[in-house]
Amino acid sequence: MINLSDYVTAIKGINCTSALSLEGVKITGAYVCDMLSDVMGSAKPGQVWITIMKHLNIIAVASMTGIPAIIFAKGNEPDTAVIEKAIEEGIILISSKLPTFELAGKLYKLLNP
Amino acid sequence: MLSLRADLHIHSVLSPCGGLEMSPKAIIQRLKYFGIQWMAITDHNSMQNCPAYEMVAKNEGLYYSWGVEIQSIEEIHLLAYFDDSSSAKEFDSELYNSLLPINNDVDFWGDQVIIDENENILRVEQRALINSSQWDLNTVAEKVQAYNGLVVPAHIDAGVNSIISQLGFMPSEPELKLFGITAMLDIKSWLTEHPDFEDKVFLRASDAHYLNDIGKGYSIITVAEATVQELILAAKGVSGRKIEV
Repeated sequence: MINLSDYVTAIKGINCTSALSLEGVKITGAYVCDMLSDVMGSAKPGQVWITIMKHLNIIAVASMTGIPAIIFAKGNEPDTAVIEKAIEEGIILISSKLPTFELAGKLYKLLNP
Repeated sequence: MLSLRADLHIHSVLSPCGGLEMSPKAIIQRLKYFGIQWMAITDHNSMQNCPAYEMVAKNEGLYYSWGVEIQSIEEIHLLAYFDDSSSAKEFDSELYNSLLPINNDVDFWGDQVIIDENENILRVEQRALINSSQWDLNTVAEKVQAYNGLVVPAHIDAGVNSIISQLGFMPSEPELKLFGITAMLDIKSWLTEHPDFEDKVFLRASDAHYLNDIGKGYSIITVAEATVQELILAAKGVSGRKIEV
């Protein structure tokens, strides 16, 4: 388990939900997928979710699966409606310029030094 | 009122994943064999074959609606239907310009052929049609509505490219009236797993890519005339209009 803030630093991530603090948030791993039906069935609580999917439904999926933060790859940024809903639900949204492979790789390395 | 057997999701020779056997005459002969009276060609992301198939359908006494199967940026397949062919053409060119600029790999995907009513090849589409538009779901719905069309999410029970596979569940926006289902779906058992669709209206179609697929799935639509505007009223159940699957 590592601190979300350490991971966000490692991927040069930007917190799109600045109303939510990264302080004290621990993560156990990641689930990487762009199909929400699959995420609903397979993601585990405590994992971050690495994706390029930006539809509003991602917030509900994260909320119901216990995902603390969504990491958007390749510089993708969600629109205002998604950010507002995320703040309401307490889901942190991070945007990083890195591609999905590197986002997952960097997290794997942090978890398995 | 007319009660029509309708198959409003059929691919032509323009769809690369479809067979080159899907010529207008062959499709229409097979539709007639199954007593299907109302058809729509819904190729992936293009309506360029609608004129040829419409002409043959009308000559053979079938009703024809202009349609297309759009792939949104979320990789959701959405059917769109139009009554007015000139609005449909304008929509089609906007849709074409929204497609990711990737060329079709003929060896991998297959041919994308545009034909006339006599089955002469007019041209071959070079841009990959099995590909996403850069429009997201809401944008697709807005654009189709702007051209007085109807949006119907395709094959919602399919494991890929359905609104449910891509988004997990139905979003509250856009508001949709009618939902496409696959040819063989046992709707009663599907509804036990998707109770939120209990009050929804469904449209069954073949989604035929090959001639053998035709006849396996259709709907019986009761309308005053075979138009998209009437289909919208049928989805709302206005004055005895209905869609039976």
